[in-house]
Amino acid sequence: MVPTAWMVAFFVSSMLVVVLLSFGHTQADGQPVFGTTPANFAALWDPVYLELFLRSLGYALATVVLSVAVAYPVAYAIALHGGRYKNALIAAIVVPFFASYLIRMYAWKALLSDEGLVNSGLRKTGLSDGIAFLNTPWAVVGGLVYGFVVFMILPVYASLERMDVSLIEAGKDLYHGPLRTFVTVTIPATRAGLYGGMLLVFLPALGDFVSAQLLGGPRTYMIGNLIQQQFAEGQNWPLGSAMTVAMMGALTLLMVVYLRATTTRTREHS
Amino acid sequence: MTGAVPSATRRSLLKGGLAAGAVAGFAGCGYVPSKTKPTESPLPKSAKSRVDGDLVYFNWADYLDPGVLKGFQEEYGVKVIESNFDSMEGMYAKINAGNQYDITFPIAKWVAKMRREGKLRAIDKDQLSNAEQVYYSGSYFNDPWYDAKSAVSVPFTVYKTGVGWRTDKIDAMTGSWNDLWNEQGAGHIFTLDDQDEALAMAALLLGYDVNTAKASELDEIKKLLISQKKYLRGYSSDDVNNMSGGDAWIHHMWSGDFLYVREALAKKKTDYDFEAPKEGTPINSDAYAIPANAKHPGTAMLFIDWLLRPENAVKNIQYLYYPFPVKDAVAAFNDLAKDVPDADLDVKDLENPDVFRLLPADQVQARAAVWTEVKAS
Repeated sequence: MVPTAWMVAFFVSSMLVVVLLSFGHTQADGQPVFGTTPANFAALWDPVYLELFLRSLGYALATVVLSVAVAYPVAYAIALHGGRYKNALIAAIVVPFFASYLIRMYAWKALLSDEGLVNSGLRKTGLSDGIAFLNTPWAVVGGLVYGFVVFMILPVYASLERMDVSLIEAGKDLYHGPLRTFVTVTIPATRAGLYGGMLLVFLPALGDFVSAQLLGGPRTYMIGNLIQQQFAEGQNWPLGSAMTVAMMGALTLLMVVYLRATTTRTREHS
Repeated sequence: MTGAVPSATRRSLLKGGLAAGAVAGFAGCGYVPSKTKPTESPLPKSAKSRVDGDLVYFNWADYLDPGVLKGFQEEYGVKVIESNFDSMEGMYAKINAGNQYDITFPIAKWVAKMRREGKLRAIDKDQLSNAEQVYYSGSYFNDPWYDAKSAVSVPFTVYKTGVGWRTDKIDAMTGSWNDLWNEQGAGHIFTLDDQDEALAMAALLLGYDVNTAKASELDEIKKLLISQKKYLRGYSSDDVNNMSGGDAWIHHMWSGDFLYVREALAKKKTDYDFEAPKEGTPINSDAYAIPANAKHPGTAMLFIDWLLRPENAVKNIQYLYYPFPVKDAVAAFNDLAKDVPDADLDVKDLENPDVFRLLPADQVQARAAVWTEVKAS
């Protein structure tokens, strides 16, 4: 009862403001007000917005793939070989995430700028006269991976932790090679963690605006930047609200499909 | 499980009740259309300069010498409780939502907006022992465009927007905004990620008003800015790090940020130069103001007076690299900018047409739509 009231008071009611505003307009003095016009939704049928949505989708998917590639070995190493340092290692991964995401993005800027530490090092080795890392799509995706990879590591780690290690030994007996064991035993056993992690990384990556704002170039504008702009300089909360509502609709649809597909699969495999 | 049924009903009742309550509550938040136009009601009365509590201070992060804040706490035996905003919209939204701060730092056009809405308290200059420092006879700030008679605000910093560049990377600059299309700098040029500044830069090149909202002019501005994209490394307001990190060879940037990069961060100062383009440069200012709902306006008055002390203004100038229009401190700024005359600023420079004015929402939105298209294309 209490948790429900809590959710209603702080989550549903703020959501309601967004939904009501999405049908509203802005007064001449800049004040957004509720209304009943569908104009903001009509304004969303613009090919530019579709392009931004597809671009953001691409970045978010790339972020998920890279996060899996980074997170799985890390989680695996800690869960299966961490021994008594397990908790310390997990803490070492989690603690940096207590620092503001924004600050960590600025730190990347300092490291990767044209005359920053990494490039100065590269120049000293003589192998390269510098790489323009920043202000590229790669930098944006890199920022997203760094920002959200911990949401992949933790669930994968949890499912590896729970896994019975004797399964791997049994797998080795059955399938011989470690690779086949990994693919046919370990991965299926951690499917739930992986699926959960993918969702936890995908959703914030898709809506993010900080990475593109700080690390992006002239053509890396994302849907999150678009929405943020409506609420800031654009002085158009109603349009921003309509974008948010449309985005939530699209994501809910995607999520329902995804959860249905993954839960059946997880159930089949467990 | 049957026992859950009545509770589910209660739950949905509660949900309905809370939602209705929330909607009723919105009326207070102002999301409900109102016909009442703001009238020129008398300004909330000025407070007297006296300690009436700790100072709740609301500013951009790191936008004042910490030593000056510390000095104030020692001098008056009060604490400074600091909150930060990261945009004018964010600042306004928080005050509008009823948060109470004793002092805030709006940009000129936001002073105009908040004054019109009765959100700022009058500041009686007779209460400020250093008022003469900014309100001397003939001072621009005796009656600035954004606040008639400076009734609710005291000027804070003045800033100019121009072009900074790396002399070791770029051979020829022409003293025009066209330099932001410089072939030699292609891939290393940044435009400020700021709607007003970006549109103003293009408007000046085309000979239009920096605040233009005319559809035909905005369309030309849009095309011009899109033509710049192939030269750009990015849109960014982090001009300091882009310049000092070497990513930018040419940067649309603020004069004070340039001086900071050159004088405080650069390995070799002469590698950096700044120009104020001949087509015109936006020059703007921000101010201190006391919100109408401030709990400790008396302490805030003392704080303003403290910041107007020339020695404190000098400290702030040397910390921020932006000029404060405090009479006896201006020389300290001129000294900082002595090697880069185009980055130097005089209060007189504010008497130019290229200031960002308060526009009605439909015009802001028309401008925003153009800026969105530029960035998204």
